[in-house]
Amino acid sequence: MMHDADGVHDEALRQVARRLGAEAADRLDVERTAQAVVARLRAGDVPQRPPIRWMQPAWMRAAAVIVVMIGVGVVYRVLHPVAQPQVPQPDSVNVELAALRPSQLQDVIASLDQPVELTPTVHAGDAGVEDLSEPQLQSLLKAMED
Amino acid sequence: MPPAEPALAPAGDAQLIAAWQAGDERAAAELVRRHARAVARFLAGLGAPEADLDDLVQETFIRAFRAVASFRSQCQFRTWLLTIGGNALKDLGRRLARRRVVPLDERLESKDGDPHERTVAGETEDRLRHGLTRLPRMQREVFLLRAQQGLEYGEIAAALDTTPGAARVHYHHAVKRLKEWLQ
Repeated sequence: MMHDADGVHDEALRQVARRLGAEAADRLDVERTAQAVVARLRAGDVPQRPPIRWMQPAWMRAAAVIVVMIGVGVVYRVLHPVAQPQVPQPDSVNVELAALRPSQLQDVIASLDQPVELTPTVHAGDAGVEDLSEPQLQSLLKAMED
Repeated sequence: MPPAEPALAPAGDAQLIAAWQAGDERAAAELVRRHARAVARFLAGLGAPEADLDDLVQETFIRAFRAVASFRSQCQFRTWLLTIGGNALKDLGRRLARRRVVPLDERLESKDGDPHERTVAGETEDRLRHGLTRLPRMQREVFLLRAQQGLEYGEIAAALDTTPGAARVHYHHAVKRLKEWLQ
């Protein structure tokens, strides 16, 4: 048997290596392991893969949340378009646009550019005395006196 | 009690692999019975916690059976299994903090031999196990394949995708360092 200079020979090392794990292997229930493997194969078990682990920085999470929120907003706007306020058309413009000549159409467009007077018109039927301005009240009193 | 499976006629690994590929589950079970202890011993030598040993052995065989079409008989089936087991253990190590089993209690509970001698032998094993964890992975696997499993350098080289000369160098480096640590 060959001994090396430091007194520990390869064969001794091999003997220790051969014992390594032998007890643990002897305790393995081989039949149970075989049945478990067959059961997993039968069930179509996919070999375990190590999960991909990577740290997500906080700013990446925040960016992801923002992107998701913007996406949700865009989808919502597409599915639920905001109704445009209807611009009241003057009676004179209430005609079929298709029937207009180009010059008439330009006139209509020009009229739409005019500022709409939104001064409320007070009708006697839907307003009380308390809603009248002072000049209107005076006019009303004067008319009643007449 | 489930009916006993009909026994398989004695066959080589190649025949069992072919039978498994043809759908014979008994062939798969027979291959597990044939090689499970060797795989377990190799994994335990590499530092696998005993609590995870059964799962690792199962995982090794599952991976092997799934990839058996890529086995080209470049080495023995058992050697191929051992390398797959090494990879499975590496993956486990990524998932879990490494836990090492120090089987002191189990040594003291052994049935035969002198308790003092058993303890001394166990201490040597522990030191070797600890030394192996300090080796680079290639040196550790080459050492175990050679010293524990008794494989030739050509077989080791084929399994680990290296050359016999490189495998020999890895082995000698491993032995030199382990001897230093075991002094």
